[in-house]
Amino acid sequence: MKLWGQNKISWLLTVTCLLVLCGLGALAQTQPTPPPAAAAPPPPSTDSPLDLKPAAAPSSDDLAKGDPGGTKTGTANDVIVSDTKKGMTLADVINQAGQNRIAINFTWTLVTGFLVMFMQAGFAIVETGLCRAKNANHTMMMNFMVYGFGLFAFWVCGFAIQMGGGAPYTTLGGASSLNAEHVITFLGKPWGLFGTHGFFLSGITYDVGVMVLFLFQMVFMDTALTIVTGSCAERWKYVAFAVSSVFMGAITYPLFANWAWGGGWLSQLGANFNLGHGYCDFAGSGVVHGVGGITALALSMIIGPRLGKYTREGKPNAIPGHDIVIVLTGCFILAFGWFGFNPGSTLGASGNGALRIGSIAVNTMLAGCTGSFGAILYMWIRYGKPDASMSGNGLLAGLVAITAPSGFVSTVGSAIIGIIAGVLVCVSVEFVDRVLKVDDPVGAISVHGTNGLWGVLSVGLFADGTSNYGGSWNGVSGSVRGLFYGDASQLVAQLIGIGTLVGGIFTLSYGAGWIMDVIIGQRASAADELEGLDIPEMGALCYPEFVLKPEGLRVPSEVAAD
Amino acid sequence: MKIVGILMALVGWLLPVMSLPYTQSVAARFVLAVVGLIISLVGILGVLNQAHLKHAIWKS
Repeated sequence: MKLWGQNKISWLLTVTCLLVLCGLGALAQTQPTPPPAAAAPPPPSTDSPLDLKPAAAPSSDDLAKGDPGGTKTGTANDVIVSDTKKGMTLADVINQAGQNRIAINFTWTLVTGFLVMFMQAGFAIVETGLCRAKNANHTMMMNFMVYGFGLFAFWVCGFAIQMGGGAPYTTLGGASSLNAEHVITFLGKPWGLFGTHGFFLSGITYDVGVMVLFLFQMVFMDTALTIVTGSCAERWKYVAFAVSSVFMGAITYPLFANWAWGGGWLSQLGANFNLGHGYCDFAGSGVVHGVGGITALALSMIIGPRLGKYTREGKPNAIPGHDIVIVLTGCFILAFGWFGFNPGSTLGASGNGALRIGSIAVNTMLAGCTGSFGAILYMWIRYGKPDASMSGNGLLAGLVAITAPSGFVSTVGSAIIGIIAGVLVCVSVEFVDRVLKVDDPVGAISVHGTNGLWGVLSVGLFADGTSNYGGSWNGVSGSVRGLFYGDASQLVAQLIGIGTLVGGIFTLSYGAGWIMDVIIGQRASAADELEGLDIPEMGALCYPEFVLKPEGLRVPSEVAAD
Repeated sequence: MKIVGILMALVGWLLPVMSLPYTQSVAARFVLAVVGLIISLVGILGVLNQAHLKHAIWKS
């Protein structure tokens, strides 16, 4: 006890020193970090009410005074609250943000689809203006009813074949019910052939996202159908046109569109065979215009040229259209509608790199401009006059060619693509007319077929690797690059797509057209053709107050004048 | 001749597609794609179209 008693003070001193030293050591270790701030409040639960005071939403009295400056409209007051008793929660705000993104994308896709629908009017008057007045009613009625025939066929089965297995379409909220692609395994790889969900838009595809997608894809399909009515105009039996349009809207177009856009085998060439990003066709140079132009070639060959188009020696006669005013007006309408065609193909304006719509719209505008430049210069130099109808065709050729690459190329690339298209359409029209001796009253084979293929090819050359639509394309990560930007394999994928159009789609169209020719006959009688198809086929003249003269005859006033 | 033309169009399409698993070479695939395209075009524009022109309406 004594020992403890004597050493008590020294023991206490020792323990105190140790505690002080430990405290100093601990203090030394914590010195580099600043003293902890006041503890941050825990993040609010997504389910707990939010404090809306900082949002400073206007009161109902404020709103009642009107909002001429637009500063009080669209505030926290407008967020949908799921439980009014609880008030607005973070979950409400998150859901509203998600729905706003999809709403923007729905609105964008629908409005651009409406623009594309209006292109039908452009096609109708371009084709009618380039035909003779005696066939105006017939040509106009083909363009009018192709909308109905195509829409019906696409609703019945075309849409399901095309898009029934391509989900998810993330910009439209998924449209996840379109998830059944018929796939076969061949040569050790999966080959998607056609979709199987979405017939009649019924069952699980009765879905808001699916409806938006249907509308947009339907107007694209109709554009392809109306290409054929131009090349076969002035001698095509109306009933043959009707059956042909239904078949194309139900089978031909959806099949290729599935291979390219619906998750089919062409789109998977990158994932399965290391060919770039697979076949890339942003808005449809190949899918829409290529299919339309190739089908137009097949049917024009079967139907044959108009009477009087070629001499007995096979020299072509020019058969001018009857109204260049409506032709060029129609071209303007089409150029306007193309701002729906290409920028709308992002299927949205919010997220997934969709803000590239600005670039896509400018590319579209530029290629149309340089396309008309190319055509007008070619005709001016070659024939000494700036031809009006070919200038219009040059504009359309530039627009057709930029359709596939519009989402992947720079403005310089689009200008080059357009000017080449403008020259190409003139050369192609001459080739089809003089060498192939295939009669195409409106130049549809050259505008849509030749330049559709050129547009597909140009993706493999000019895609610059700057686009980023959600980080990947066709299931291959990264951006699409063409040959000039370091990816030769992308060019091969595009060539295989072109080969499929030329070899596969042509064969299908030709075979179907040949069968129809055998069963119902494709061509109007010679007497009807000479009279003009308005009365024999449609029962009424388009211009009943005009004096229409049969070819080779003169009207009485001309005889009297002599 | 029409059938020959159609068959050429089909062969030209299937040639590069069927050869995809057998070579990884981009150059070889490129050559096959171009050759296939030429075969298809010759079949359609040359053989098939010539068969149609043989009985063209303006010759009668």
